[in-house]
Amino acid sequence: MNSPLEGGCTLTGALSVTTEIEGAVTVIHGPAGCAHHNFSLFHALCAGRDDPVLPAIVSTDLSESDIIFGGEESLERTIREVAAAGNCSLVCVLQTCVSGAIGDDVDSVCGEDYGVPVVPIPTAGFLGGGFHDGHVRALLSLVPPARGGKKTISANIVGEKTLEFEREAHYGEVSRLLSAIGVPVCTRFVCRSSVEGISRLPQGAVNILRDPSMVAVGEHLEAEFGTPYVSSFPLGPSGTICFLEELGEILSLDVSTAVAGEEARQERIFWEFRHLRGERIRFGEASGHADSLGACREIAEAAGMAIHPSGRQVPVPDPFPVGTGGIRKVLSLWRRACRARV
Amino acid sequence: MKQIALYGKGGIGKSTTAANISAALALRGLDVLQIGCDPKRDSTRMLVQGRLIPTVMDLVRERGDAGISREDVVYTGFAGVKCVEAGGPEPGVGCAGRGIIATFQVLERLGALCADVVVYDVLGDVVCGGFAMPMREGYAQEVYLVTSGELMSLYAANNICKAIARLSSRTRGTCRLAGVICNARDVRGEEELVGEFARRIGSTLVGFIPRDPVVQQAELNRKTVVEFAPESRQAAIYRDLAARILENRRMDIPVPLGMEELETLAYEFTP
Ligand code: SF4
Repeated sequence: MNSPLEGGCTLTGALSVTTEIEGAVTVIHGPAGCAHHNFSLFHALCAGRDDPVLPAIVSTDLSESDIIFGGEESLERTIREVAAAGNCSLVCVLQTCVSGAIGDDVDSVCGEDYGVPVVPIPTAGFLGGGFHDGHVRALLSLVPPARGGKKTISANIVGEKTLEFEREAHYGEVSRLLSAIGVPVCTRFVCRSSVEGISRLPQGAVNILRDPSMVAVGEHLEAEFGTPYVSSFPLGPSGTICFLEELGEILSLDVSTAVAGEEARQERIFWEFRHLRGERIRFGEASGHADSLGACREIAEAAGMAIHPSGRQVPVPDPFPVGTGGIRKVLSLWRRACRARV
Repeated sequence: MKQIALYGKGGIGKSTTAANISAALALRGLDVLQIGCDPKRDSTRMLVQGRLIPTVMDLVRERGDAGISREDVVYTGFAGVKCVEAGGPEPGVGCAGRGIIATFQVLERLGALCADVVVYDVLGDVVCGGFAMPMREGYAQEVYLVTSGELMSLYAANNICKAIARLSSRTRGTCRLAGVICNARDVRGEEELVGEFARRIGSTLVGFIPRDPVVQQAELNRKTVVEFAPESRQAAIYRDLAARILENRRMDIPVPLGMEELETLAYEFTP
């Protein structure tokens, strides 16, 4: 599934982060409607993944009189209720258009003592951006305070698109590549993380961003903890090799064996698909980002396919499958397209 | 039913003017309803012996809007003037503009918006959608700008012209500028200045209220001037103004001035 990257509402973007955190409850400060349709969306997604967990979302359920007299009391009451219900290790507070427009002082309400950490995330619905902005702001708001924790040779995975169907496959491929160079994952910020996991963020020696749209988060973490970042998951054959080399450089590791192993693996895949040699293809109109297109060209070339305007149209998958494993997925898709009789 | 609204800069004396007009109209035997649209809720005070009557918003907050009856929000004051205060949130929280909208919905539902003359006394000079609501929804069909000769007061009046011009350009818009009232601050050449301002925006000066200590005395005695000193010159002025408003048929779409034009105008009249 494609996530609505640019449009939509900051609330949904932020929820894509906060609902991933184990033990966290998200309070949506606004009318029930804002929570309702988001709840439905996340619920449907979980169900689609055979993941029967209900998203932990609570609405402050503002009524007209809250709009007129201010919604701060409702917010405080709701946070207290959530905290008192126990079994919650973090409360995230998101604003909607309405609470943003009437100017509730959410930060100071969140600053009270509730016995549980409460993190306000500046969203305010449509105010100040869309889905992507909400995603980034949620991550920035959740960055743990720098504690003296020592860095270890390990990597953090930062800014995964939690609503992507393929996210676990992407993650699996990246962690396979990491283990090939002997680097464990320190924490995922924030796919399926716990509060404890998030607090380990400063200990990672490198941050691997999901894609370049997360650079703002990478920059912030670098300024905060001095952790360098790699700006994207690897795409395509040379992208995957460069990824390993870049990590080797940052972490001062010799990655030549891993690189050789990966190159051999890629060779095997191209051999597996040798029957595609000589096929004439072209890429679909709606093809995604420049990076994906570059990776497509490289894969086609290495597979001995010819890119030609009159060739058979093949898809450029979005999200583009990651790493060497992704090459096989792309080639299988193309094989299907080439074999389809029109 | 005649529905008039007084708009103007905060502190310019709208409430005093409104209350005296209402009182004078009521003394002529008309059924008058005055609605204060300001969270300060002091529009109708002088009509009800200085009391602060419960506001629509206070009751909505306490009981929810279903639990309110007409008797809870409409108070009878001097000469039978019916008084309503919209009220609003405490300063610094919530949305008072939305409160005005909710108040009108409540009043509408209660059938409380009827009289021979309804006088809306609307807060301040900044007109957000909520405070423009009486104009926008056709409650306030005739708007009077209350101003003095001071620049900031003219500036506010001019801003309200912008709102009227804007709202009256809509197809549903029934709100028009009926005239300018000068509540004097003893600026020299004030009457001429405000008169000229009225002319330039395409309207007219319907009343000039001079400064008079009796206003202060009446207020200290918690009464309108019309009630406190009916024989005074000031009471006669208010009665006269009320009569003119009653007869006034002017309905203009104003042409607001540019800031520079406004300043030049004020400068010309400053001796
Ligand atoms: S916050 Fe605003 S844009 Fe988002 S769901 Fe609520 S009303 Fe809609």
